[in-house]
Amino acid sequence: MSGVLSFFGAPVVMLARTVRASTRDGVPWRESLAQLHELGGRSVWLVMSGMAFFGAVLVTIANSQARRFVGNVAVLGPAYFELLIRELGPAVSALLTASRAGAAHAAELSTMSVNEQVEALEMSAGDPYADLVAPRVIAGVLGVPLLCTLGTIAATLSAAAVAQFAFGVDGRAFMDPRYVDGWDLLAAFLKAAGCGLYIPLAAAVAGLKARGGAEAVGEATTDGVVAASLGCLLIDLAVSLAFQLLRL
Amino acid sequence: MPLLTRLGRTALDALRGTGALGLVVGRTVLALPKLERRELGRALVQFGYGSLPLALATAALAGIIVVLQSGIYVQRFGARAFLGWAAGYGVLWEFGPLLLGLIMSARLGARNAAELALMQVGGQIEGLRGIGLDPFAILVAPRVVAMEVSMLALSGVTFAVAILFESVAALLALGLPVRVFFGTFSQLLGPLDLLGGVVKTGIFGLAIALLSTTVGLSARGGAHAVGQAAANAVVRSCAAIFVLDFALTSLLAGWMG
Repeated sequence: MSGVLSFFGAPVVMLARTVRASTRDGVPWRESLAQLHELGGRSVWLVMSGMAFFGAVLVTIANSQARRFVGNVAVLGPAYFELLIRELGPAVSALLTASRAGAAHAAELSTMSVNEQVEALEMSAGDPYADLVAPRVIAGVLGVPLLCTLGTIAATLSAAAVAQFAFGVDGRAFMDPRYVDGWDLLAAFLKAAGCGLYIPLAAAVAGLKARGGAEAVGEATTDGVVAASLGCLLIDLAVSLAFQLLRL
Repeated sequence: MPLLTRLGRTALDALRGTGALGLVVGRTVLALPKLERRELGRALVQFGYGSLPLALATAALAGIIVVLQSGIYVQRFGARAFLGWAAGYGVLWEFGPLLLGLIMSARLGARNAAELALMQVGGQIEGLRGIGLDPFAILVAPRVVAMEVSMLALSGVTFAVAILFESVAALLALGLPVRVFFGTFSQLLGPLDLLGGVVKTGIFGLAIALLSTTVGLSARGGAHAVGQAAANAVVRSCAAIFVLDFALTSLLAGWMG
């Protein structure tokens, strides 16, 4: 029970402290830009190549479903495209980002706190929340929606290409945006932004409480990645459920 | 010539990584007959039993998400009765193995790599070699076997839980009776479909175990290298899972036709 409470509570406390510290001290914009480059630039190839393979898998599955059920794979296309835009694009891209960026943030922050660099920062009148956590949160909120967009584009292109060349369906007809409307884009954006907010916070919670030696760094990295991935799944579920209940 | 330099360095890194992976695979297979039993038991408890809560939580989430997702297009085509089949197919073939693989690479892959990197950096692996013990028999082979067994066992449990949660979610969100859900589920899905998901998960488990071990054993440097190894293990396992997912889906879909 206390595990569940701290899983949900610790990121909220971290967010409150970060917001308070950064309204007091101001946000280091230069560091935020550097973090955005770190998060975006380093994750972009992983997310895009992963999503390209995922798009190809999606078409293969649609094809084998269609062969048993409706006969023509092109009929399933528009529905699959809506699914990709609304659910799978943001969810899977965010999971990939959580593993890459969550691990990097948790490893960095825990190395800093194990080596007592965080305490040194406090000694020199800096605030770890404003100087270390806030730039990462800003980079996450701005960067993850961008990464999700790129990932969805990569998945769409590879799905269209596979449909065209492997299954002989017109790729543009398969990836037909007939059913996609503003609500789908809103759901996708909410998921991406929520995950972008949550990943740095979860990694920071795990990283800043690391104490001990190198063992603590490994432990903190694992905790950060697990919390970030599970949190992304929960956020996706919450948004999907809310949209389902409101019948949007 | 920065581009050429980068290209060459990437190619060298890829070659070195493949070589290290090959070495670990070979020496693990050689060490299999004399693997340490006690270490295997410990790893089984840690990997399998220790991951059970996380795996079950993932399974429940995956089940609900898949129903909400397929619910949209099943309703659109007016084929609500087929939801049991569509959702079961989605979880068994795609989302069950993929999500379990990603979550387990985060938990077990990172931990495995961090532990081995810590021993490598601290000189404990050299120490084992120094007193004439084979680190592959004591440290690596038990982990690989335990990871494989745990992933196979977890896949069965998680698929069952995911499908249970799917049927409940279908009842609550879409008003589909549980009997109708399981009716099309059992009618249209064969034992081969169940096997497909388990095979996928097993291969993902093998990839996670071997990649994280390789990354951990090739860590060099100080404390920084340990965190680096944990992060690298997660990234490489995720990339490998996506590539393998594509290869296995096309292979199995073609083979089962």
